Amino acid sequence: MQRISVNVTLNRSTLQFDEAGFQRLEQYLADARRTLEGNPDRDEILADLEQAVADQCARRLAASATTVTLAELQPALEEIGPVQAPGPTLSAPGGASRPLRQISEGAVISGVCQGFARYFGLDVTLLRIAAVLLLFATGGGMILVYLALMLLMPYAPLVRGGQPLRKIPAKSRSFVEFIRAKLGVAAA
Amino acid sequence: MTVETKLAPIRKGLLEFLVLKIVGARSVYVADILRRLAGTEFATQEGTLYPLLSKLRREDLVLYEWQESDAGPPRKYYRLTEAGKAQLAALDDYWNLINRTIADLGT
Repeated sequence: MQRISVNVTLNRSTLQFDEAGFQRLEQYLADARRTLEGNPDRDEILADLEQAVADQCARRLAASATTVTLAELQPALEEIGPVQAPGPTLSAPGGASRPLRQISEGAVISGVCQGFARYFGLDVTLLRIAAVLLLFATGGGMILVYLALMLLMPYAPLVRGGQPLRKIPAKSRSFVEFIRAKLGVAAA
Repeated sequence: MTVETKLAPIRKGLLEFLVLKIVGARSVYVADILRRLAGTEFATQEGTLYPLLSKLRREDLVLYEWQESDAGPPRKYYRLTEAGKAQLAALDDYWNLINRTIADLGT
């Protein structure tokens, strides 16, 4: 027995794929996910791409057909192209510097490491490893430093209409906002 | 090495500037940007454009709002923020300066 087709929900659209098409789609999205590792906007970009794939496939599907096969998917993916992380860009001298802010989307705890990574243009994974090493080196004292940074660093605004935050970043953000309100500090 | 490949990193780096220019002209969605760049040396794809637009949004240079479309699901329409307009003006000036420098060096 063989599975004939799979229903796939891509962002806001649902389409039927045959087995080969489904596997190709999974592979494309897994590659995209890997390329965007450490990018705070990963979930949002993946949602945009899923929608692009759905639109392209729906447009290529013949009027009578209901199942997307490689015949539609392959040219669709070629038109969308592989995901590429934005590279270094032309920047005018004296351009506005990036503010140091916590980034909740894609955070592990509160987004402090992501904030520093964005600010210094470093790989967030390196900073996370450094933070864990410091945690051991300081015998847990790093927890206090992290808590202080969490309370002091302003938050970058959330993506409007974006993906909901993961559980821990959402919880720590509301915790910080609660403490700031108690202390009478204007929450950023 | 052909002229084409020698200038490839420059073309890649200029994409952000050109996207700011297109978004600065009027509010657009992704297909508008792709159409505008198609057929130029800067033709690009959604796989490149979505991560770039997310980066620009995170830097507060562009913002978007959802708008219903006649065909299909709602779309994100992008426009420049005040910071985006300022950055575009600075990039425009800088680009003109580069152009003048290149022209002067040949004389």
